[in-house]
Amino acid sequence: MNLYTRRLWVNRIGISLSMVAMSLGLVALLWILWTLFSKGFASLSLDLFTQDTPAPGSEGGGLRNAIVGSGLILLFSMLISTPIGILAGIYLAEFGRVSKFASFTRFMTDIMLSAPSIVIGLFVYALFVATTGGFSGWAGSLALALIAIPVVVRTTENMLKLVPTSLREAAFAVGAPRWQVSLRVTLRAVKSGVVTGVLLAMARITGETAPLLFTALNNQFYSTNMAEPMGNLPVVIFQFALSPYDNWVNLAWAGALLIAFLVLAVNIGVRVVFRNKDKR
Amino acid sequence: MSEPSASAGIDLHAQQVRKFHLQDKLFHYSTLLFAVVVLAALVGILISLAIEAMPSLQAFGPGFLWTNVWSVPDDEYGALAAIYGTVVTSVLALLIAVPISFGIALFLTETCPVWLRRPLGTAIELLAGIPSIVYGIWGLFVFAPLFAEYIQPPLQGLLGDVPVIGGWFSGPPIGVGILAASIVLALMVIPFIASVMRDVFETVPHVLKESAYGVGCTTWEVVRNVVLPYTRVGVIGGIMLGLGRALGETMAVTFVIGNANRINGSLFAPGTSIASTLANEFGEADPGLHIASLFALGLVLFILTFIVLAISRWLISRSMGSEGL
Amino acid sequence: MPDQAMPAGENAALQVRNLNFFYGDFKGLNNVNLDVAQGKVTAFIGPSGCGKSTLLRTFNRMYDLYPGQRAEGQILFHGKNLLDKGQDVNLVRAKIGMVFQKPTPFPMTIYENIAFGVRLYERMSRSAMDDRVEWALNKAALWGEVKDKLQQSGLSLSGGQQQRLCIARAVAVKPEIVLLDEPTSALDPISTAKIEELIAELKSEYTIAIVTHNMQQAARISDYTAFMYLGELVEFNETATIFMRPEKKQTEDYITGRFG
Repeated sequence: MNLYTRRLWVNRIGISLSMVAMSLGLVALLWILWTLFSKGFASLSLDLFTQDTPAPGSEGGGLRNAIVGSGLILLFSMLISTPIGILAGIYLAEFGRVSKFASFTRFMTDIMLSAPSIVIGLFVYALFVATTGGFSGWAGSLALALIAIPVVVRTTENMLKLVPTSLREAAFAVGAPRWQVSLRVTLRAVKSGVVTGVLLAMARITGETAPLLFTALNNQFYSTNMAEPMGNLPVVIFQFALSPYDNWVNLAWAGALLIAFLVLAVNIGVRVVFRNKDKR
Repeated sequence: MSEPSASAGIDLHAQQVRKFHLQDKLFHYSTLLFAVVVLAALVGILISLAIEAMPSLQAFGPGFLWTNVWSVPDDEYGALAAIYGTVVTSVLALLIAVPISFGIALFLTETCPVWLRRPLGTAIELLAGIPSIVYGIWGLFVFAPLFAEYIQPPLQGLLGDVPVIGGWFSGPPIGVGILAASIVLALMVIPFIASVMRDVFETVPHVLKESAYGVGCTTWEVVRNVVLPYTRVGVIGGIMLGLGRALGETMAVTFVIGNANRINGSLFAPGTSIASTLANEFGEADPGLHIASLFALGLVLFILTFIVLAISRWLISRSMGSEGL
Repeated sequence: MPDQAMPAGENAALQVRNLNFFYGDFKGLNNVNLDVAQGKVTAFIGPSGCGKSTLLRTFNRMYDLYPGQRAEGQILFHGKNLLDKGQDVNLVRAKIGMVFQKPTPFPMTIYENIAFGVRLYERMSRSAMDDRVEWALNKAALWGEVKDKLQQSGLSLSGGQQQRLCIARAVAVKPEIVLLDEPTSALDPISTAKIEELIAELKSEYTIAIVTHNMQQAARISDYTAFMYLGELVEFNETATIFMRPEKKQTEDYITGRFG
């Protein structure tokens, strides 16, 4: 009985520690969210969206140039990465089930899912910024696209693999050529899953800062010219948060709140929508 | 109904069939092209970093890796301090993150009520979704001051006089530094490690667990003696994934590591990592050896994370019985 | 195969000769010989894994999709061997339609589900297409139920309706042969009865080959029945003969339920 009591206590302690670990995770999440709200909410105002970033040491101002810049950079990076990612994903799912080249590509994209984003920034700098003679919004979009592509490739492939073989066979059975089976039947059957992947990829790159430091750089003025350095939220947050000016620091908090809110909204949104789709 | 004779039908369709053949070829090769583009971009990263780093590698040779000097005025560079900071913060982060992730995965798979599994699992995944820059400013403005005031002094009081490890906790408790960076990093990699652990734990066949429960094992004993041995490979893969993440993490570390390009025996002291050095210096680097050395740092980081992540992927896919995810 | 009963006096839509089939190293079909009679229903029965579905899937080269699966021998269709490398598989499949065990409506509207296959090989006006869709849905006895919701998703129909939609889709491209791979095994008895009625009507215009694990179904709807076991064709004859006076002991054991 003594041994048995000991075993029960070990079990109780183990289970309690696992609950402590779970609570630590939850506390961290709530703590960070609470901090963002309490510090960022004060600076949320209409000015944030209508005024540009203020000069050092001055009062007021907003984040308009950074918000617009981030929006443009994101838009173009998604326009680049979505078609490339989906088509490459189709290749892996459709033609690459047994080929060596495909498994190598799959392996590399898997690694790129977690590769350091700052290295991607270096790459785009070497390939694009240094050769075209300057930082630009385009360079920023390219860097973010390179981060988004592996996400889109892998979700597309995984979604396509979930399509029941009978549906694919049924499409072939009416005599359809492969491209129509792929694009018009199987891809359409997993449309919502692929859209989810694209949205998650977008959420992933929305807060990426490191690769933008040496590509889009920053721009304290409002600009929609993608060929010029472009203001963007992450880099502005980085610079303002580390500055000695209270006004800048407050704006950094407001920017962080905006970004975190957007990213979490997308993350939760796709989960809710996708879950309903699952049930149907 | 009058059917056209089959051979006539086949003639009628011959043109369409040729078109389909062509289109299918086109489809095959264009998707292949995009797969090649993806692969080329990834391989291109390695090549371009190596090319850009060449001047520095030629000037300093392999000694670049173990030289502890980083001086812009003297134009002399060595990676040791940055590598030290990167490795120490990542390893410390894992020491903190692994037990917590294990606890979370255990809770989610074994003890959590079913209706809570999904929301709690999602909460942990959301932790992974928070951008690293948010961790960074939270770490700098919220965590580091509290850390300096409430955690560092007692730690110092408790362990500061112990021989050997006492030195790790010496120096002024200023909050930012190697240890603070490790803790923030740990927080960031927990969701990744916990998710992989949860997924591999779920691959354990129910019969196996039930037979262990059947001979009277407690939950803890089932996890220790059945689940963990069965999923060993995948768990290690998850930990390596966390390590790969931690090594390359930039913004969160840059905010809280203190950015001092030197090696100090104390974990309270500010330090630097490869990624934070790049983030701080690259924008204003002088052309020539400085920028080439930064590229060399990037190359080191890329190779390091590549190896770690490759091992991780291999282990996870072996454990899950399929490729990826 | 001298011990093979071949129905005489019929035109053969498909002539299977010395057919062997391999999944990698495993031999799934062993030297199968038979004729599928034109304008009749031929049923394939046998225990699970006997190769009846495998045989059906050689008729439209569905196995082509999977590396490692291959067929040797001949399947003659209008005098040409379907298994020839040069044979265009898309065309084969347009001429030899297939309906699967589980309903497989495409993720598009009911109308598009039908029009998709038709458009592949025929150019026609909008109104001609409307007529064709109506014709096909009528053939599948589904028109009355869906004529007011042609623009709804095919997935919104019930299981039995979805299966009839799949039959309509197969019929719409005007194939010569329709392959049915256990088309009612996922359906309730009422839907099953509707589909069986449908098969009886369709055989006036199409050659039908059906795989079924339901012997009563084979007895009810087919003209010829092939009993397969362990990748071999054990006995093939008119359905009445197979069920009343089977020649082989194995066949008799199977249809009387004494199999094991």
